[in-house]
Amino acid sequence: MEKKEAPDEFKRWVSEKWGSSKLPLGGTVPYHTAYAYKTGDWSAFKAYIDKDKCISCMNCYYYCPDSAIIMDDNLKAECDLEFCKGCAICAKNCPADAIEMLRVTR
Amino acid sequence: MSREVKGMTGDEAVAWAAKLVNPDVVAAYPITPQTIIVERYSDFVNNGEVDTSFIPVESEHSAMSACVGASLTGARVFTASASAGLALMYEILYVASGMRCPIVLAIANRAFSAPINIHGECTDQVVCRDTSWVSLFGESAQEAYDETILSFKIAEHPDVMLPAMFGIEGFIVTHALERVETLSKQQVEDFLPEYRSTKYRFNPDEKMTFGSLVLQDYYMEIKRQQEEAMQRAYTVTKDVMAEFSEMSGRKMEIIEEYQLEDADYAFVSYGATAGNAKAVVDRLRNKGEKVGALKIRLYRPFPSLDVQEALSGVKAASILDRSATFGSPGTIMQTDIATALYGKENVPTLHGYINGLGGRVLTLPEIEDIYEKTKDYHDVGMTMTTDWIGYRT
Repeated sequence: MEKKEAPDEFKRWVSEKWGSSKLPLGGTVPYHTAYAYKTGDWSAFKAYIDKDKCISCMNCYYYCPDSAIIMDDNLKAECDLEFCKGCAICAKNCPADAIEMLRVTR
Repeated sequence: MSREVKGMTGDEAVAWAAKLVNPDVVAAYPITPQTIIVERYSDFVNNGEVDTSFIPVESEHSAMSACVGASLTGARVFTASASAGLALMYEILYVASGMRCPIVLAIANRAFSAPINIHGECTDQVVCRDTSWVSLFGESAQEAYDETILSFKIAEHPDVMLPAMFGIEGFIVTHALERVETLSKQQVEDFLPEYRSTKYRFNPDEKMTFGSLVLQDYYMEIKRQQEEAMQRAYTVTKDVMAEFSEMSGRKMEIIEEYQLEDADYAFVSYGATAGNAKAVVDRLRNKGEKVGALKIRLYRPFPSLDVQEALSGVKAASILDRSATFGSPGTIMQTDIATALYGKENVPTLHGYINGLGGRVLTLPEIEDIYEKTKDYHDVGMTMTTDWIGYRT
């Protein structure tokens, strides 16, 4: 899968932890889609998929409210952990019991 | 310099001044006593006398929302409201300042319901003190006219980029016919250049996201920017008013001192009440009393230093406050002044008087009574008192 990157300036804000004197006015940010702005860093659980158990039914793919499930080249489910919010809807709907929710420790 | 003089009500003065500014967008909803501003302005639009896109919206919430959207494109934006309308805008006032939209809002200060009342009272504007809007009060139709024009210059200053509101009291100023010295189109165009900063505005060549979600990790930084802009707005307002005074030949300052140099006692007021206070100062001076008056024109950012200097050496100050507050340690203006003076040397005792609610007239004899009352309070050693004046028990 093609990984798109956040604009350089935005990456610098985050890495350099910009403050009030450097940030743009009014919370205005360079436009980009969620490919660039990772949104899943706060989740308490993450979905881990056992590809050997996956039967390629794509239930998880359609149920995921955040489109964090990607189907790989062999049509096996894969979870993009940078977007997974840990809701466990995929795990509940997996007929093969291939998805396990694991607690995130930081 | 030859000056043209016209008879105008306060509302008309705002509309005529806005016409000279010729904003790109006006989105407004009528509410008494602001209606005439919107009515006159829509006449100008209809007659092709201005280039403004007029958006007749369905509520004040929508009016301010439309203003925010327009302002984010870099347009020069104007609107007007009062009382309940302003309260309905309240949510979007924060959006406008948070997104750094230099919108100008004229307020025909009116009492809040209930009981329903359409007359003058400044509560609607003073409760917007924390919205990060530059806030001005006008005493007369002339000041309404002048503040309409200079508000744009303060708001759009690149060091400020915050919205600005200015208020004139409903009916007392908005509907009273007064003498107004007008400015020419050329004067206003020279004062208020067409060019404005387009940074962080919608731009076809640069894609930006506006109004994004900002949580714990960045919110305080963005809000801190507003506080710094507010602090800069203090100096900018002073400069803009000095420039305006030079251009118009009318003295305009963030506070106005009247006979304060040698005064033992002072009246502090804002808006239309300041006129009455000055009249009472004249009366009392004729009787040999050493009294002066201070008018606060710039309410936010609050001119703490100027107020402190103006009141330095005064024994006691009577604060005439035409705004209601309940269960507060003082009147709204009094608490601000008390904060500005706390711990400083040579400061007066502060005596707040809530008056004139719902358009009730504060008469000159009543202000003289207030003067006597303040002297009594001061003589018995009270440093801070708050009273309601002019109601039946």
